[in-house]
Amino acid sequence: MSDFEPRITAFVCNWCTYTGADLAGTSRLHMASNVRLIRLPCTGRIDPLFIIKAFERGADGVIVSGCHPADCHYTSGNYHARRRFAVFHDFMEFMGIDPRRMTFSWVSASEGAKWKDVVNETVANVRALGPFDAYRALAPEAVETWPADPGTAAAVPAASGGGEAR
Amino acid sequence: MTGHSSFISSEDLRGLTGDLLAAGTEVIAPVATDICQSPSAVAASACRIDKGPAIEIDYTPLTDAAELDLSRGLPQLSLKGYFLPEHEVLCSWKQKGTTIEVQEVPTRFAPRVVIGAKPCDSAGLAVVDKVMNWDYEDELWNGRREATTIINLACPVIDDSCFCTAVGAAPDDVKGADGLLTPVDGGYVFEPASDKGRAFADAHKARLRADVPADTLGRQADDERAAARARVQANLEIDADSVRDWIATHFEDPLLAMLAMKCNGCGACTGVCPTCHCFDIIDEVEGVGSGCRRRCWDTCQAPTFTLHASGHNPRQNQHVRYRQRINHKFSIYPLKFGEVLCTGCGRCTRVCHAGQDLVEILQEIDIAARRPGVAEPAEAAS
Amino acid sequence: MSEATMTQAPEYVGVADLRRIARELLEAGDVRVVIGWENGRRGARPVFVTDPAAADRLIFDTRCVHNLVTYLNPRRDHVQELGRIGLVVKGCDVKAVAGLLREKQIDPGDVVLIGVRCGGVLEENELPAPLALTEANVAPRCYGCDIREPEHVDHIVGESQPEPPRPIMTIDDRVAQLDALPLEERWAFWTEQFSKCVRCYACRQVCPLCICERCIVEKTQPQWIEPSSHPRGNFSWNVTRALHLAGRCVDCGECERFCPVGIPLSLVNRKLQHIVRDRYDYVVSEDPEKPAPIGDYRLDDQQEFIK
Repeated sequence: MSDFEPRITAFVCNWCTYTGADLAGTSRLHMASNVRLIRLPCTGRIDPLFIIKAFERGADGVIVSGCHPADCHYTSGNYHARRRFAVFHDFMEFMGIDPRRMTFSWVSASEGAKWKDVVNETVANVRALGPFDAYRALAPEAVETWPADPGTAAAVPAASGGGEAR
Repeated sequence: MTGHSSFISSEDLRGLTGDLLAAGTEVIAPVATDICQSPSAVAASACRIDKGPAIEIDYTPLTDAAELDLSRGLPQLSLKGYFLPEHEVLCSWKQKGTTIEVQEVPTRFAPRVVIGAKPCDSAGLAVVDKVMNWDYEDELWNGRREATTIINLACPVIDDSCFCTAVGAAPDDVKGADGLLTPVDGGYVFEPASDKGRAFADAHKARLRADVPADTLGRQADDERAAARARVQANLEIDADSVRDWIATHFEDPLLAMLAMKCNGCGACTGVCPTCHCFDIIDEVEGVGSGCRRRCWDTCQAPTFTLHASGHNPRQNQHVRYRQRINHKFSIYPLKFGEVLCTGCGRCTRVCHAGQDLVEILQEIDIAARRPGVAEPAEAAS
Repeated sequence: MSEATMTQAPEYVGVADLRRIARELLEAGDVRVVIGWENGRRGARPVFVTDPAAADRLIFDTRCVHNLVTYLNPRRDHVQELGRIGLVVKGCDVKAVAGLLREKQIDPGDVVLIGVRCGGVLEENELPAPLALTEANVAPRCYGCDIREPEHVDHIVGESQPEPPRPIMTIDDRVAQLDALPLEERWAFWTEQFSKCVRCYACRQVCPLCICERCIVEKTQPQWIEPSSHPRGNFSWNVTRALHLAGRCVDCGECERFCPVGIPLSLVNRKLQHIVRDRYDYVVSEDPEKPAPIGDYRLDDQQEFIK
């Protein structure tokens, strides 16, 4: 497992966390490079389906991050997100998904250092948990690993099973 | 019943099943499970501690001949799923730049045997064969049909929601199947009904006893089957032809709307039906540059089944969709293919928790069809 | 079923009143249809009574499990076309009406509610005659019912009923069992359960609060929820539907009853109710004025899970 590099998808709000992440970059803070950012106007826009889709497509972990309460650019978007993700977080744990695969954070535009910490902690946690292939494998005829990394063996495309009813 | 009948003891039937498995042939048969014993039943609502066993029967590929259930209970789902799977890949593709690789799926399958099929389920396959070989020959369906030998087990009639004889099937039918087992003392009378059935008898002749004394076992088999037919006939008798014609000429009749009031459009009836065969085709993108095209079961009872790209939906309401179901099964398909798209298994009635009752519905339409003059819609007949 | 579960239920006092009220409403033209329950060939089932003379078909007994509020869904054109509806409701059903009112899906004037005082219903309701309720045959969701006396109704019939018996295993017991399992076992349990799903959408169709004009599962540009019935698509569907019902589900149990493959949806819904209760002190209400928890917020909402 020592050469497993987790794939993390981060859904971040434009006004705070995205800017904060940018600050982390311009400040040349060292952090893990496993995270792909997806920029949204506000955490209030983030649908739990985004997270489910990320897992379906091969993410091993997910970060959702936005403005601190009271700082939302749209006033209350993050309050709605807070309730929605509290329910989502508790419910996914009930479904048997390790909550350490999903990180939620408030990172403001000036908190480059905090973003670095969130990223590093998340990557370390997910690396310890291992790949989340179990999720993708729920579809028995998944075609290929995503995206094709050099050195990763692509799964052989499966033909439909003869006579498989279910 | 064509072909030479023989006797097979219950023990030999299991032995025959074992022989097939030992030779590596897939055997599909009813298997009874006590779902309360399932490991996940601890918290599953399907089981309650004190209620005793909750037996569910499903057509399942056997791993051992001992699993074969010969109780003649009704499997929850029909055999349809073994010929038109709930979801199956039609082709898969990989794309890199302008190079596209398409992987097709096999249309020839390893031979397999179904033992103990319900006659209503096999009959359903024969009915659907017609549409699967109409303007387009469905290679996947046909390939699976060719590969499968189906041996029916004569049915004692499940309950008062069965009505196979009202729609051209029967509890001892061999339509769509290759042979019939009828229970008698000590075992079964076996009668092949097709070339495949005769080949099957030949391949397993060591397990079969050629002599079936007509005055004992032969008569027992005949009596058993006649009694079953009488039982199911008592459930429903309709004139399927006049039902067909009445529906064709009374499309706007309020009776058809009234019969659908309770329906929720869930499509459970479609899933359990041996003759429903509509499917959707979707492309599923797996990642970057790869994916598969799948077909999966669909239901005309779903609200968006006929939704056009323009946004118009010719079947906007549930009573229109339900009318379509009745129309297709009992009028359109018979007019087109000469077969009722229903084998009277009764599963739709049993599975509908909103109380839609096909026995009653057909009775109502039959009454309307036979009534001279203008038919009046029965009051709240739902 | 054991001997103890086979006792016939006593006649429900109030059926005559129910029929009388229905007849009067229809005769006066106050409603064009009364939706209630009747005796069918296979047990109690919904009935749509448009003729006052047919009001005698209405019944109420322990087999009347169905939540008839599903027929109020504004998308059911053929029911809406009939005109103003008189609906027979148990207390729990009223919570679903409140949900529709709360979300402005119906106006209070659209429906006349005839409440029946209820003491619980059977789990297995497809029987020729109603049985008296015992711990073995009562529907688990009835336990702890706080609304045996329906509120916010226009008419009320029946006598005050005793509390439903405690079932041998309540839904909360089963949720607690699942909560106590290690994570991997819960994952195995739920993926096994969702692998049974055939995507018939019976759960959605029968739910009184699944009212979206276009369900997200039918969106194809982009496809958010995989339509195939493999466990991955099923997981996405069932989780999404559950989350869309958080704080809205009234625990009527119809989704689970209708599910043709026996997925224990009552456990999913009950867990979500626990979550909104524990986090936001919210219990689903029969009062349409009480706002639902999702869509609402407080400045001091819990956020211990957020870094």
